[in-house]
Amino acid sequence: MKELLTLSNLAVERAGRTLLSELSCSFRAGEVVVILGPNGAGKSSLLLALAGLIPSSGEINLQGRALNHYSRHELSMQIAWQGELPPTEFGLTVNQRLNLAVAEESEAIEEVAQTMDIQALLQRPLGELSSGERQRTELAALMLRDAPIWLLDEPTAHLDLKHQIQCVQMMKTQCESGRAIITVLHDIQQAMAVADHLILVDGKGGAEYGEAEQLFAGQRLTQLFDAPVIHQGALLVPDYGKRI
Amino acid sequence: MLRWSALSVALVVCLFIGLSIGEQWINPFALSDALESTILWELRFPRLLTAFAVGGLLALAGAWFQVLLGNPLAEPYVLGVAGSASAGAVSGLMLLPGSAWIMSLGAFIGAWIGIMFVMFFSHLGANRMLLAGVVLAAFWSAVLALLLALLPEQGLFRAFSWMMGDLSHSDIPVSVLLIAWAIALICGLVLSRSLDLLLLGERHAEALGVDVKKLRQRLLLLASAVTALAVTAAGTIGFVGLVIPHLMRLLFGSLHRAVLPASAIGGGLLLVMADSAARTVNAPAELPVGILTAIIGVPVFLFLLLRRS
Repeated sequence: MKELLTLSNLAVERAGRTLLSELSCSFRAGEVVVILGPNGAGKSSLLLALAGLIPSSGEINLQGRALNHYSRHELSMQIAWQGELPPTEFGLTVNQRLNLAVAEESEAIEEVAQTMDIQALLQRPLGELSSGERQRTELAALMLRDAPIWLLDEPTAHLDLKHQIQCVQMMKTQCESGRAIITVLHDIQQAMAVADHLILVDGKGGAEYGEAEQLFAGQRLTQLFDAPVIHQGALLVPDYGKRI
Repeated sequence: MLRWSALSVALVVCLFIGLSIGEQWINPFALSDALESTILWELRFPRLLTAFAVGGLLALAGAWFQVLLGNPLAEPYVLGVAGSASAGAVSGLMLLPGSAWIMSLGAFIGAWIGIMFVMFFSHLGANRMLLAGVVLAAFWSAVLALLLALLPEQGLFRAFSWMMGDLSHSDIPVSVLLIAWAIALICGLVLSRSLDLLLLGERHAEALGVDVKKLRQRLLLLASAVTALAVTAAGTIGFVGLVIPHLMRLLFGSLHRAVLPASAIGGGLLLVMADSAARTVNAPAELPVGILTAIIGVPVFLFLLLRRS
């Protein structure tokens, strides 16, 4: 598979704190890489660095060319980023939000709105929607982008169970169509359902890249989160204990 | 389309009323003598165009500052440009009290000093920039208060009248203001898609291909320059820059290819109506136009807001 994005000795610092150092790996077309780690470990910052939205050191190579040699416009053609929900103060409607994701008026808007169950919301202002509906709007906006690389920061956040499943399936479908998806997830089941590779970020500067199957197999996640994670057949689940 | 038609009709009606109304009602289509013609075309018409251009410039600047600072409460004077312009105008009045144009010159210099201070903070994010602007505005108010305290008594009326907005003797030619109005609107339309993307927040805008740093600098310079020109022409007229962009968003939606032209026209209309009222209500004396912008604009805005919700 074609390598789209290559990192060599990537280091990310924020507010004087080293979140990541010496991460080297490649992201290929048709592959999902899931970033896992505790809160504040630097998962979102890693995504922002990959999108060129915050500074980093080391090398990020996009399709054979250094990331910092791309203009913002060129980068937006290659990389789509989904992160925090946009502000709602200025009264943008769902339809206007979706139109901003594409360069010109697009018929695909109706289609993605249907896929994300938001066709009935198209004329409503974003400020009138629930967080889950706004998240679905963001995912629909993402689906309108042609970029070969998707960087997703907790795409299933705020979603109900039906839409979480739909979102995971959407990631699989998009990956099969040749996109490279790098996503932060908190749900281990969802990570197991989509990940080809994992990046485990420990929050102390360490980051480990490896095959998802291998990293899920041992006790690595228990160590990473400092929390009990147990194997139940083929699944890996958090051990919440029993009600006393 | 209906809304644009309504705005066009409102434009024609307001311009007609603005021309006709005053101490004496004059019908532009039935002038009775040379005096009426002189009053209409040499006094009222240039003043009406000045009001229209200044109102439009203030509304455009307000719309830009609101997006730039990501805050719907922002207005053209939020970063202290009006305060520095007022301080400049009053300084001019202290230095050359007999000069007719010294307040405008002082305001223009003061406004640009204010802009230079603001540009110094342009690299900060929206929230910090807003905070820096509020602090700068407080600084300029203190300087202004000091200057007013030192100003001889005979200059106080002129200073206060200028500070509350005065369209009666603008020192900037009408043609310059109208050209600035058109250029500002064109610049705004060229930037409209980037402005729309900025409504999604800086990160999203950047991820969608906008060079946010460059855009912010351009927008800040443009909005400040437009504010400086408007303040120099007519003193500080509040309310237009705050409310007109909101009003136009309520009527025309959030996208800037509609909001900016509608604001440029709507701001002009509000100021034309306010100025017409200011020179008629207590004729032959004139009221400060800034008072009238609020008296006319607040009920209209609140009515629309309540109807919308």
